[in-house]
Amino acid sequence: MLTYLIRRLLSMIPILLGVMVITFLLFYQINRPETMARQILGPKADQRTVETWLAHRGYDKPIYLNTRPGEPLLDSQFFNTLKGFLTFDLGISDYNDEPVAKMIRRGILPSLLITLPAFIVGFSLSLLLSLFQVFIRDSLLDRWGTAIFVALMSIPVIVYVIFGQWIAANLFAWFPAFGFNFEGLSTARFLALPVLIMVLSGLGSEVRLYRAIFIEEIRADYIRTAQAKGVSHARVLLVHVLKNGLIALITVVVASLPFLIMGSLVVESFFGIPGLGNLMMNAINTSDFSLIRANVYIGSLLFLFGLMLTDLCYAAADPRIRLQ
Amino acid sequence: MVPTASPLISLLLVAALSLLAACSNNPHPAPLHSVREDGKPWRVTYGNISDNPRSLDPQVSYDTTGNTIISQIYESLLQYNLFKTDPYELEPCLADGMPREIRHADGRVSYEVRLKRGIRFHDDPAFPGGKGRELTAADFVYTFQRIADPKVECPVLSVMQEFVVGLKPAFDAAKASGRFDYSRPIDSITVIDDHTFQIHLLKPYPQFFYWLAMPFTAPVAREVVEYYHGRDHREQFRFHPVGTGPFRLAEWARGRLIRLERNPHYITTRFPASGWPAERDAFFRPLANAPLPLIDEAQYAMIKENVASWLLFRQGYLDRVVLGRDNFGSAISAGLTLSEAFRQRGVQLNKDPEPVTFFFQFNMDDPVVGKNRKLRQALSTVYDGERANILFRNGVDINAQQLLPPGLFGYQPDFRNPYRTGDVAKARELIAEAGYPGGIDPATGRPLVLKLDVVALNSVSRQRAEFDQQQFEQLGIRCEIVENTWPNFQDRQIRGTFQMNSGSGWHADYPDAETFFLLFDGRNLPPEGHNASRFQNARFDALFQEMSQLPDGPERLRIAHQLNDILVEECPLIPTSHLVLFSLDQPWMRRLSRNALLAGGAGNKYAWVDPAERDRLRKAWNRAPLWPTFVLAGAALATLLYAVRWVRRQNV
Repeated sequence: MLTYLIRRLLSMIPILLGVMVITFLLFYQINRPETMARQILGPKADQRTVETWLAHRGYDKPIYLNTRPGEPLLDSQFFNTLKGFLTFDLGISDYNDEPVAKMIRRGILPSLLITLPAFIVGFSLSLLLSLFQVFIRDSLLDRWGTAIFVALMSIPVIVYVIFGQWIAANLFAWFPAFGFNFEGLSTARFLALPVLIMVLSGLGSEVRLYRAIFIEEIRADYIRTAQAKGVSHARVLLVHVLKNGLIALITVVVASLPFLIMGSLVVESFFGIPGLGNLMMNAINTSDFSLIRANVYIGSLLFLFGLMLTDLCYAAADPRIRLQ
Repeated sequence: MVPTASPLISLLLVAALSLLAACSNNPHPAPLHSVREDGKPWRVTYGNISDNPRSLDPQVSYDTTGNTIISQIYESLLQYNLFKTDPYELEPCLADGMPREIRHADGRVSYEVRLKRGIRFHDDPAFPGGKGRELTAADFVYTFQRIADPKVECPVLSVMQEFVVGLKPAFDAAKASGRFDYSRPIDSITVIDDHTFQIHLLKPYPQFFYWLAMPFTAPVAREVVEYYHGRDHREQFRFHPVGTGPFRLAEWARGRLIRLERNPHYITTRFPASGWPAERDAFFRPLANAPLPLIDEAQYAMIKENVASWLLFRQGYLDRVVLGRDNFGSAISAGLTLSEAFRQRGVQLNKDPEPVTFFFQFNMDDPVVGKNRKLRQALSTVYDGERANILFRNGVDINAQQLLPPGLFGYQPDFRNPYRTGDVAKARELIAEAGYPGGIDPATGRPLVLKLDVVALNSVSRQRAEFDQQQFEQLGIRCEIVENTWPNFQDRQIRGTFQMNSGSGWHADYPDAETFFLLFDGRNLPPEGHNASRFQNARFDALFQEMSQLPDGPERLRIAHQLNDILVEECPLIPTSHLVLFSLDQPWMRRLSRNALLAGGAGNKYAWVDPAERDRLRKAWNRAPLWPTFVLAGAALATLLYAVRWVRRQNV
């Protein structure tokens, strides 16, 4: 197990390096630092302001290798950023000079406040509904349920947002259409609608997937044996099918856990939740390359961490799996 | 034995109960107070901004969002009169009277400024005992030093150093040594006494007064800048503004809210004692000479999406909304009047011309369009700006005939541009005279091909590009669209790698013709300058130079008209429209002025609101109906019953 962990951790290094190189290459293909400076400083900024801005942030240095006479070879934009990431110094925002680490720390809690309840409620509800569908499989309600869940998964999130805001906030006046404020327990009123929308928008695909896994399971030989021995339908479902189906679900669910921190781009942006999703959206809109870079870096780390966690959980849940 | 619920169930119950208890669709945090010290109701305005301001440092910020907030926290020596808009007029703010001009024998000019006494910076921990100290002349010395400091990155330094003594040498010295020496006095300002100082200019420049009304020259206190250095859990100065303005920053929750609170020590200005429209005398008379600001708190929610701001306005949670393409049809009926539904609500419609002009630009270095005046005139003549306005702006903008927008000195309301008629027949004559009869290039025998650079942001901008293309192709030419992102568009303007472009616009920094004519000054070429069309005309440059040194008067007006005539005849641009903003005010707000330069930010000290009326209407507009609760409960019950029945039938 320990050997496996060390090997996985070491294999993360070239992957992270690759992600950074690709991010760099892509960014410089799309946006040169000078163009980014003009976008941030506005259309009226003059050349000298742009040059001063670039120099203060190190964007006047060569991109990959510094071949200027008398200057260190690795004093380049890429290697300076790499050095920062290896030492977990994420630098300052290109847009407003605020430390990126501080901005990210500030965004984690609001993101988790919506993604964690959405994950818990969404997962539990999907589990419940998919088991219920398996329970009533091939009935009229099952067929209607399938149709509804297919429809739910076909609707884009933005449609849920717009209708959610219009109906729940405007017509029914239940929740604020927008906004976020730390008000103790009452903060829940700002979270209810975004969480509901995240649950609804993910429900269709999750129920369909879980149902497929459970249906597969219910057709297994050991289930037929249990049924032949007179075990009740409910017990078969809630004990045997659920327990064995969950092993297959681990791969899907555990890998997504670390991403809860990253928030939701669309929902946070439309509801004004100041989480990491919103932060990333702002960074894209304002050409804040240092913030985008840091977000991509953290996202890659979380992804690799999620994969590792999935392997560990899989091994723990299924004794047949051994990590080597 | 008392049964106990599991911790998870308890938590869910508490969450559900607190959600029910706090069930309200009001998105705003509670105001700082409910009543003022004098027992009167606490007055709050609720606005929105699209994003976090990049910086709240007055010497740095150059964006609309930042300016909205900065102009309420900081004030400058001069300000715009609330009621005078045609033309706009400056009046003293921090200055005790307008600055006195002193002409020197060597051609230089100084302005002597006396400060009002007793003006204090906001109370802040940066000051001894937390009490803001009095504003003095030394603060202006420090402010001008900051403008010249390369590390501050003042975006207008390169413009200001052209006319303010000492900025360029101070900048160059700091650049060479790597740090700005604040202990050395700057030559821009001479302090006479604590409340009197002189600002020195390299040449006569009457428009300098406008710069004295901008936040760039608003005074900051040295001890505050040095205190907020961004270390030891202290904010950076750019996030912690401390000024002398009518409001102080009470809260900045990044990404969601900026809250301003009335500065209790504000004495700098009062409500005007005269100048309002006679028909509104009954409303304004009681406000004459009233202490400012009239409100106690201003909350700005950060809302990027128009859908959300429109919903909040409809619910009464925003006091004002600017109408965009998405919500225009809901609020405005035929004839550009307010729809019946909103009229019945008591909502007020405002139509405000902004000091903005949009135009097409020709690259004068281009061998085809740049060297052929008749061709440019033909393209200008054939373009139907009025139709574009109706199709893409709901007909609200003003069809532009000239570069200068309404309200600026030099604007000619009755001027009719001979090359902005939309007359296709005349345009075809002009293109024939240009050497391309029927739009055919004699060199190839095929239609002349012109490339039009556009910013392709969304489907609307693409539709607009297709409209432009179709307009120009009426001449028989072929117009190819070059789609760009905004940064690429800017980049191509700076490098001069375009033939003609659409999407250029200019918003007046100050209400003077100079800021617009500067765009075509031959000495203002990119990358340093903004003359993206690379228009060079010796007569234009000489007249512009002459105009920039004259005060407003008949001579200056004559030159402004001559400059306009040159641009019309030479046609380096096709002016298309002047922006008109349609906005809605809630019934509890009262519109005080049409001054576009005070809109949003600086004018908020005059804002007037009736909180009791707002509370009453908000309640009426946000009643939660009971039926959805019953319907949802019924649906859940029906599903449950069906499931139970099904289970029983299956006998499991």
